[in-house]
Amino acid sequence: MTGASDLRARNGRANGLVDLYERAGYLRVEPPVLQPADAFFELSGEELAHRLFLTENAAGEELCLRPDLTIPVCLAHIANGGAAPAGYCYLGPVFRDQGGGSGEYLQAGIESLGRVDRAAADAECVALALESAKHYGCAAPTIRMGDVSLFSALIAALNLPPVWQRRLLKDFNRTGTLEADLSTLKSGPSAGLEQAGVLAALQGSDPAAARAFVTDLLSIAGISTVGGRTVAEIAERFLEQASLGATSGLAPETSAVLERYLDIEGDPDEALAALRALAAEAKLDLEATLETFEQRTGFIAAGGVDVRSIRFASAFGRPLDYYTGMVFELHDTGGRVKWPIAAGGRYDQLLTVLGASEPVPAVGFAAWISELEQAGGVA
Amino acid sequence: MSTLPVKTLLLGVPSKGRLMENAHAFFGRAGMSLVQPRGGRDYRGTISELPGVEVAYLSAAEITNNLAQGTIHLGVTGEDLVREMIADADQRVLLIDGLGFGQANVVVAVPQAWIDVRTMHDLDDVATAFHAKHDRRMRVATKYVNLTRTFFARHGIADYRIVESLGATEGAPATGAAELIVDITTSGATLAANGLKVIDDGIMLRSQANLVASLAAYWGDDERAAARALLDRVAAERRARTMREVRTRFKAADAELVAEASGRFGVLAPLGGPTSSGMLTLLCPPESVHGLAIFLREAGAETVMVASPEFVFANENSLYDALVARLNRKG
Repeated sequence: MTGASDLRARNGRANGLVDLYERAGYLRVEPPVLQPADAFFELSGEELAHRLFLTENAAGEELCLRPDLTIPVCLAHIANGGAAPAGYCYLGPVFRDQGGGSGEYLQAGIESLGRVDRAAADAECVALALESAKHYGCAAPTIRMGDVSLFSALIAALNLPPVWQRRLLKDFNRTGTLEADLSTLKSGPSAGLEQAGVLAALQGSDPAAARAFVTDLLSIAGISTVGGRTVAEIAERFLEQASLGATSGLAPETSAVLERYLDIEGDPDEALAALRALAAEAKLDLEATLETFEQRTGFIAAGGVDVRSIRFASAFGRPLDYYTGMVFELHDTGGRVKWPIAAGGRYDQLLTVLGASEPVPAVGFAAWISELEQAGGVA
Repeated sequence: MSTLPVKTLLLGVPSKGRLMENAHAFFGRAGMSLVQPRGGRDYRGTISELPGVEVAYLSAAEITNNLAQGTIHLGVTGEDLVREMIADADQRVLLIDGLGFGQANVVVAVPQAWIDVRTMHDLDDVATAFHAKHDRRMRVATKYVNLTRTFFARHGIADYRIVESLGATEGAPATGAAELIVDITTSGATLAANGLKVIDDGIMLRSQANLVASLAAYWGDDERAAARALLDRVAAERRARTMREVRTRFKAADAELVAEASGRFGVLAPLGGPTSSGMLTLLCPPESVHGLAIFLREAGAETVMVASPEFVFANENSLYDALVARLNRKG
C-alpha cells in the first residue's frame, strides 16, 4: 500500500511533468473520461478495440472509457472550431483491458495541432518526450525512430501495381508481415482457376467495358442484389487483377530495392546517407521526403538532442494505423521496463477523419507515468 | 475462482430446444436418465443412476459462463461458445469429448455478388481498398466477436470493424448494417437465401456439442468420484457407438489371424485371442465391418455375426484420466 507521502511525491512529480509542457507553451486540457466509442472503433482497428471498456448511456449510445488521449484531444479541438494552431497537454488516467491488472494507466503527453513547420514540430515533440524521461531521472533512454511516409514515398516511386501498393502499405503500417508479402510478390500472383477465364477476358478492357462484363456475369448467375460494394468496384478490382496477371511477379531488382530499404538502420544521418545512396542507385525520386527527414534531424540536433543516440530503422513502425510520418518510442536502456516509456508520431490525416473541415498537420506523444517511474528508479 | 466444497458434482445441461433433446438422448444412450422431479419447468434435476450428480438446466451460454467461473463442474455446450466466450479457454476448461450432435461451422460469408472474392486473401485486399476509397472500415456483423478478431488477425486483415449482432446476422448485408458477416451455419441454406456465400478458406471453426469440464471448479474427492462414474458411462457409450461387435467361430482362428485383422481393419480383441475351439469376439470400426467379414470367411469362417453393443466398459477410462491429468497439472 502506498503511503500518503509517497502518493504526494508521485502526484507532485507527475504534475511537474505537465508544468514542463505548459512552460513549453502547451495548454493543459482534461477531456472527459467517457468518450463516444465509435471513433475508437473506427480509428484504432479491431486489434485494439477489444481492449476498450465499453458501456452505454440511457439513449443507447455506446461509450468507452478513453483508451488514450489523442483522439479525445483532437475531438475537443475540432468541437472548438479547430482552425488556429494549438498545442495541448494532459495528465490523466487511460483505460485498457489488458486481461488483468487494474486496466487503469496514468498517462501524460502533448498534441501539437496545426503547425505547418512540420520538421520543427516533430523535433520539439521528440525533445519534450526526452525531457519527460529526464524529469523522472531517466537521462538517456533508447530512442527508436521510423518514418511511415518514407515507405509510402518509396512504394509510390517504385510504380507497383495498385493491388501491391495497397497490400505493402497496409502490412507495413499495421500487421508487420512484409516478409511474407515480398516472397509472394517475387513468385508472382496466382489467380484462382475459376477466375483465370474472367481475368483473361478482361485483359485490356476499359472500365466501362469491365463494368458491363461484371453486370453480365451477375445476371447470368442470377444475382440481383449487390451488397456493400458497387459493380464498378468489383469491376475495378477485376481489372487490377487482370493487369497483375500480365506481369510475372516482382522484378528481382525491385524486390532487392525493397529488401535493402527495409534493412537500413543507424543514426538518422547514417540512415539518410544510405537512403540517398539507395535512391540514386535505383533511380528513384525520394528527394522531397528525404529533405524533410534531413530538416527534422537538423531541428532535433538544434534542440540539444544528441542525434547519434537515435536508432533509426526504415522497418520501424508503430501498431496504430493513423500515423503518417515520423514515429518514435523511448525505451528504458537498462531493459527493466517491458513497455515503451513514451511513444508518439505524426498523424496528419487523423483530424480530417474525425471531422475537421480542413487538413490539420498534427504530431504528439504520450508518456506512461508508471513506466517513467520504473525507468527512472523512482517507483 | 473456486466454489466452496459442495460434495456434489454439478452438471450443466441445455434447458431448451434441440440441444436439450439431443443431450437427453445422449445421456440416455450412456445409461443415465436425467430426471426433473418437478417436471419440465424445473431448473434442477438429478441422474437416477448417479446420486452424486446434480443437474442444472441452463442456456448453453450460461453453461459456458458457469464453466469458466467454476460454478459448475461439467456441462454440455457448443465448442463455438467455449472459444468465443472464454478467454484462454484451454487454461480454464477442458473439452472432454465431442458428443456427435449440434454440428455447425462458424464461417465468413460475403455477398454472392462479390464474384471477385473467393479467399481470405481476396477479402484482405478488398477490405484495404474499401477503407481507402470510402474513408471508413468495412463492417463485419457477428456475435462471434473474439473468434472473428483472432481469425482475421491470423489472415493479416486490419481494415475492418465488427458490428455486434445479436440475431438475424445473415440479414445485415441486405439491410446495409454491415458489408459481410461471420455466423454459424449447418447447411449454408440460410446464407444462400440471403444472397451470401462462404469464403473458400473462411471456415473458422467446425463446432459440435461437447462435454466440457471446468478447471476452475472445486474438485474434491466426491466430485472426482462422481465425474469418474459419469465419464465411465460416457466412455462406454462412446466405445459402443464407434465399434461393432463381431463374433465368429472356426478352427483356423488363431492369434496370428487376430494380429493381421488388427493391422488391416483396426479391430480389437477385448476378450483375448480365440479360445481353443476357435471362438472369437472382436470390436471393429463400423466402416471396416464388411471388409473384416470377407477376410474372416476367406480364412475359414462359416458365419460372422455383427451386432451393435449397448455399452463397452473397459478398465481404462481415458476421458477421466485426461481430466485428472489436466487438474493435477493445474496444481
